Amino acid sequence: MKANFTLFFLVVFLVAAWAGWGWPNIAKIMPVYVAAIPGLVLVLVQLYREATDWEARRSGAGGGIDMDEVYEMKLDRKTEFRRTVTFFSWFIGGALGIWLLGIVIALPLLVFLYALIEGREKWSTSLIMAACTYLLIWGLFEYMLESRWPQGLLFS
Amino acid sequence: MEMSLFDAAAKGFLNLLQLKVFLAMMVGVSIGTFTAVAPQGLGMPLVYAIALPIVIKWEPLTGIALLIGASSVSAICAAYLPILFGIPGGSGSQATVLDGYPMGKRGEGRRALGASFMAGGMGCLIGTFTLAAAIPATRPLIYLMGSPELFVVMLWGLSMVAVLAGRRPIKGMIAAAFGLLLATIGQQAQSGVMRFVFDQPYLLDGISISIIALAMFGIPSALDLALTKLGVEQQPVPLKGSLFDGVKDTLREWWLVVRCSFVGVWVGIVPGLGSQVVDWLAYGHAAQTSKNPGNFGKGDVRGVIAPESANDAKDGGDLITTLLMGFPQGVVTALFIVALLAWGYLPGPEMLKKNPEVIYSVVWLQGIAGITGTLIGFVLATPLAKLAEVRYTFMVPLMFIFILMGAFSVNRDPIDLLVVITFGILGYFMRRFGYPRPAMILGLVLGDLMEKYLYRSVASYGFSWLSRPAVIVLLILAAASFVFTLRGRLKGQQETPASLVGAMARTPDES
Repeated sequence: MKANFTLFFLVVFLVAAWAGWGWPNIAKIMPVYVAAIPGLVLVLVQLYREATDWEARRSGAGGGIDMDEVYEMKLDRKTEFRRTVTFFSWFIGGALGIWLLGIVIALPLLVFLYALIEGREKWSTSLIMAACTYLLIWGLFEYMLESRWPQGLLFS
Repeated sequence: MEMSLFDAAAKGFLNLLQLKVFLAMMVGVSIGTFTAVAPQGLGMPLVYAIALPIVIKWEPLTGIALLIGASSVSAICAAYLPILFGIPGGSGSQATVLDGYPMGKRGEGRRALGASFMAGGMGCLIGTFTLAAAIPATRPLIYLMGSPELFVVMLWGLSMVAVLAGRRPIKGMIAAAFGLLLATIGQQAQSGVMRFVFDQPYLLDGISISIIALAMFGIPSALDLALTKLGVEQQPVPLKGSLFDGVKDTLREWWLVVRCSFVGVWVGIVPGLGSQVVDWLAYGHAAQTSKNPGNFGKGDVRGVIAPESANDAKDGGDLITTLLMGFPQGVVTALFIVALLAWGYLPGPEMLKKNPEVIYSVVWLQGIAGITGTLIGFVLATPLAKLAEVRYTFMVPLMFIFILMGAFSVNRDPIDLLVVITFGILGYFMRRFGYPRPAMILGLVLGDLMEKYLYRSVASYGFSWLSRPAVIVLLILAAASFVFTLRGRLKGQQETPASLVGAMARTPDES
């Protein structure tokens, strides 16, 4: 699975090197010579390390720091997978809602449904949260700042 | 005619005397406080990512006031989660959990918070004074810096980030290269060549950095809340004791505060170290220099004072390189640079020459926000502790609103929503498989600037720019620091100091 994600970078750098190869030098120094080709070499090194389990053998050696948050979820895989898929479904649903209904309707609706169904909050709490969202999006942006949000596909 | 630094400092302060600037700073302070206290320590990268699309449309000082207000206070109030829940707060306060949580469990939560606020406030002021002192010290150097030198400085910054990508240097460099690649999407200004546009008009101007950062940090953070169901499945320890005991502890340990603050400033200045390490270095320093290190990890107040003072002083060090050299130290400063560029400032020597009063405004804001944050911590300790109990069912929809609204407000283009989903999923996988997202963001921010400076260097000097004395000196410095850092890191893998390992080891309760 780890190797699979590294393959994503392999594809990206390959496509970048291929797409930029015919450009004039001035245009390809940064994307091809500085980013894509060194990136390709690094990906190959990383794939070798993953294939030989190099990282796992060195992980107990201590030293070094993590620049980013380390992923340490202590949930069983099934629960984690279910919650992750649910989360992304809500998020993508929200984005689709904005596209179809417009942000003024979609976001309060998303908040209401998430609080009610996923959060199992009371109807009244969910409605209050949705109303606050509506006030923020419509009241603050459209009414006070006179910043018009575009309408959704279904209404335009 | 160039302004004297004294005039710039005075003007920088006078420019802040506007109601809207003050209000923006207070909004920033409130956001920073909420971010630090709210479940899971939502983190400044997320706040900056969310705020960026909005504030870049404001007047510069108002926007700067909000951003600096938020980041300055967030560090000071970051100790709530470690002390109350025993979980690391935002980065920079992770070590606080080792002694803060045991203190909280034995009924000294307020004492630990008091020590944390006081140490944080003192650290913030030391960092701010260092930043203020660095401005006149740096100014003579900027006349040596042309495009070639700036290109080398940026290259140095980027190489350090890659090397310091912790246990995953190769992955860090891959992420940085990917960021550089993303920075080149769109029509190149110098040649007019369409790069990686694939006949998509949306890609002509490149992908907005603010949308990418928003997605890569916002979505995984929101997902964390949904996964752990914080505030529902985890409950805090009761808040007891006296805040002023902590104040007295901190004043008694003033020398430790000063030393750790300078550790923080140093970490801020060195490219690529960032907040992930500052608290651990300060904690390790406190444990190693203590006469009775055995108490560390069992609820020693020095274990709270050391990381908190260093974490707050770091912001001053961060801003030294960000404002005076022009390259970012982490995601937050990278996004701050994006905002400055959007307002028409070019951070680094050019800004120090042309807009020193803006730099001084940042210094003043940093100091004022630090004092405000400390006072807020003391006055509102108990009600703020309640915020830490907010359920994920409130937080996740709130984050949905800000992420989707933030992304959509940039261009009001539905394709932005697709981009935010794509980069959100990418951010999730990058974090999951250990590809450091900050390295990618730095590559993204530096890529554009590096290309510009490289183009100017070659256009003005051909390849003879490589023989300029300042370039040679900087290249030697860059190479030396690269080699020493790499060597130190490899050495560190072989022989980590036993006392530091001991200090960092978590008790079963805390892990």
